[in-house]
Amino acid sequence: MIEVEEQQKNKIAANFENGEVTLPRKGRLVVTISKESLCSLLLFLKMDGFEHLSLISCVDWLGEGELELVYHLWSYQKKIHAMVKTRIDRESPHFLSIIPLFRHAQTYEREIYEMFGVRFEGNRRLIPFLLDNWQGAPPMRKDFDLRKYVKEKFDVEERAE
Amino acid sequence: MTRIDKTTTAAEKSRELEMFFGPQHVGMVGNFGIILTVEGDTVVKARANPGYLHRGFEKLMEYRTYAQNFPLVCRLNVMDPDPNEALYAMAVEDLAGLEVPERAQYIRTIMLELSRMASHLLWMWAYGNMIGFDTFAQWAMGDREYIIDLFETLTGGRIYHTYIWPGGVRRDLPPGFAEKTFEALEHIETMLPDYDNLFFNNRIFADRTKGIAVLDRDEAVALGVTGTNLRATGSRTDVRKDEPYAAYADLDFEVPTMEDGDSYSRAIVIRMEIEESISLIRQALNRIPDGPAWRKTPNPFKWNVPPGETYVKVESARGEAGFYMVSDGSDRPYRAHLRSPSYPTGIIVLEELLKGASLADVGHIMLSLNIAAPEIDR
Repeated sequence: MIEVEEQQKNKIAANFENGEVTLPRKGRLVVTISKESLCSLLLFLKMDGFEHLSLISCVDWLGEGELELVYHLWSYQKKIHAMVKTRIDRESPHFLSIIPLFRHAQTYEREIYEMFGVRFEGNRRLIPFLLDNWQGAPPMRKDFDLRKYVKEKFDVEERAE
Repeated sequence: MTRIDKTTTAAEKSRELEMFFGPQHVGMVGNFGIILTVEGDTVVKARANPGYLHRGFEKLMEYRTYAQNFPLVCRLNVMDPDPNEALYAMAVEDLAGLEVPERAQYIRTIMLELSRMASHLLWMWAYGNMIGFDTFAQWAMGDREYIIDLFETLTGGRIYHTYIWPGGVRRDLPPGFAEKTFEALEHIETMLPDYDNLFFNNRIFADRTKGIAVLDRDEAVALGVTGTNLRATGSRTDVRKDEPYAAYADLDFEVPTMEDGDSYSRAIVIRMEIEESISLIRQALNRIPDGPAWRKTPNPFKWNVPPGETYVKVESARGEAGFYMVSDGSDRPYRAHLRSPSYPTGIIVLEELLKGASLADVGHIMLSLNIAAPEIDR
């Protein structure tokens, strides 16, 4: 049933020693890899048929002091959705832009820069995206308290405890 | 005798003007701006200016329990809310390991296809308006009302349904729903030839849109385009076929495509999809099995979803809509991220396609991509 996924897993494992590959269910493949090897893995996958970048997500793991970048790729031939994950430091985070591989990564990187503060080297368009005149900390980070911000910014009294 | 002043900038010499297209514009459903740099009648550069509908849903979802998030998710897209509900339900089911009853899968399919049709009819209204076919536009808007009525019968809500819910759907079909649906479908089907005669087979429409804003298949994939826009370039890709969800694996349907990838092809693909949706809803209503429409979920006030992560996707009216959800084992999502099909098309693709376009075409290029602003901003 999941032969194609198994093959793909072996292929990645043979080429990337430090990549940890799991197959959670049919049509899904998760690779956890160090940040140094991430770009070459993405290039490898792109050459291997994963031509569609669906999404780039960022997850803030506050307790571990790390930000996790998740690259979602899809292969139209193999019908596999690959999630490539890597962790970067939470203090002054920066990473390489993957625009040379996937052009529309620009917008995702722009959003992650705005919402999580990750600076992508090589992306020249890290200008405000969704927020207007934002001066505070990156709002999607876990230590940004929405309720506290609203209370201070708009001077709202908390009525019910 | 003219003397060029050395202090004038390059932009002034070439007489470029900056023009704000939107955020309030009849062509765009929702608020969305484009900043155009025009020289005469030609667009030199376009910059998308989103953010007017940013409501911070992803952040809000981290503060709310799984049950409280339910009424939030449909509001991610006003025109086509049900795919977002289905995505959220599927993500929670995947994380919590819930099984969905067969009957609920069929009801979801009916709901998703009705939503697709409603979205396409609304698009026909906007597109018709944009090219100057007001009669056609009003017909489409009127026919959409039949579907909205069905939604009201089924869920109590016209625009937002909060109906597809982890574990199944909120209520079973009410008595007489199938007959009412067949009637509405019949009506829309008899209207389709009229739409064709008035608009889709109309020479004026073809002249206006053929060869405008062309994307080829490889470029479209490289830019992250999915859905009707990708199918208009000749690629037969559809999440309903590639990774069947709900009851799509049991139903028989075609994926319509066109070859040219221009504004015209994109419109025709949307038109052909309406027929497929009608057929899908009929099949689903005829084959719907008996049984429960909802499998009981744990107490929503104490519902801790096991830790893990998942990515689920459906084919919304605009393309691949995906949902990435991370749970840390508590009663609220640790991270929720929506992949909307309008996100690449509304920013990068739009900017690319508008370069060199005529100012008069800006509106219908934007609409032919079927962009939904609330989906981009979230």
